[in-house]
Amino acid sequence: MDSFLASIGQHLFVIFGLIACASAAVMIFSRSAVHSVLAFLFAMLCVSVCYFAQQAEFLGVAQLLVYAGGIVVLFLFVVMLVELSKFKEGGIFQAQAKVAIPLVLAAFGLFAFFFRQALFAAPAKDALTLPAEISGGLDVAANNAQAVSRGLFSGWLLPFEILSVILLVALVGAIVLAKAERA
Amino acid sequence: MASPNAVLLISFLLFSIGIAGVLIRRNALVILMCIELMLNAANLNFVSMARHSGTVGGHSIALLVMGYAAAEVAVGLALVVALYRKRETIKVDDINLLKG
Repeated sequence: MDSFLASIGQHLFVIFGLIACASAAVMIFSRSAVHSVLAFLFAMLCVSVCYFAQQAEFLGVAQLLVYAGGIVVLFLFVVMLVELSKFKEGGIFQAQAKVAIPLVLAAFGLFAFFFRQALFAAPAKDALTLPAEISGGLDVAANNAQAVSRGLFSGWLLPFEILSVILLVALVGAIVLAKAERA
Repeated sequence: MASPNAVLLISFLLFSIGIAGVLIRRNALVILMCIELMLNAANLNFVSMARHSGTVGGHSIALLVMGYAAAEVAVGLALVVALYRKRETIKVDDINLLKG
């Protein structure tokens, strides 16, 4: 039993990744938009478990906060605002679905053919590391958030600052776009 | 702790489900969700490859991508709401003003 649990623990990434894929499929094939949003939430939770399984604790928590806490709520509010009950009649799929689905399946099949080996094998050996001049004696594997912050603010400072400007622009843009027009 | 092939396969599966959703769905909201799904698939790859190469660079990029995804979804949802106000629909088939 213990060895069974241990082997499950080693394959958490694969298991939850496949659950995320299944709920993503539920998301694109469900007729009701609310069901789609809930399946999206479930997929995001599974992706966050995958992050935890890859020893990215900080990113896993950030994923939970940003997606489950922010984006899904935003989607639910918009679903409520746009009265989807009007669109129930008619198909949910566009005309090109007959072409698109086989193409995507073929692409995945090709990809899987080239990367088919070793689906359940060979875990990575080393924990995370940082260049010595950045880490400064920090135990990187045990302090994930500190390690990510050192990596972010030493190597990725410019993208980070650009991101803050982009978020501001998006904030203003969203308000301008969604504001009711004065008649 | 999964092999690189497993990571690539799963994230490509997630990505292709996202592409399929963008291509086949009519509802603009679901299309936005599929775009988020594709960004997440890429993030999954970044994180797992960071684990494999043993560096935290991938974590930094994934965090930045998460921020960009939040900005994108805010603007996208505002566009959907504006579209619904103007045209009373969010089906992408009905939005053909540029068709000529």
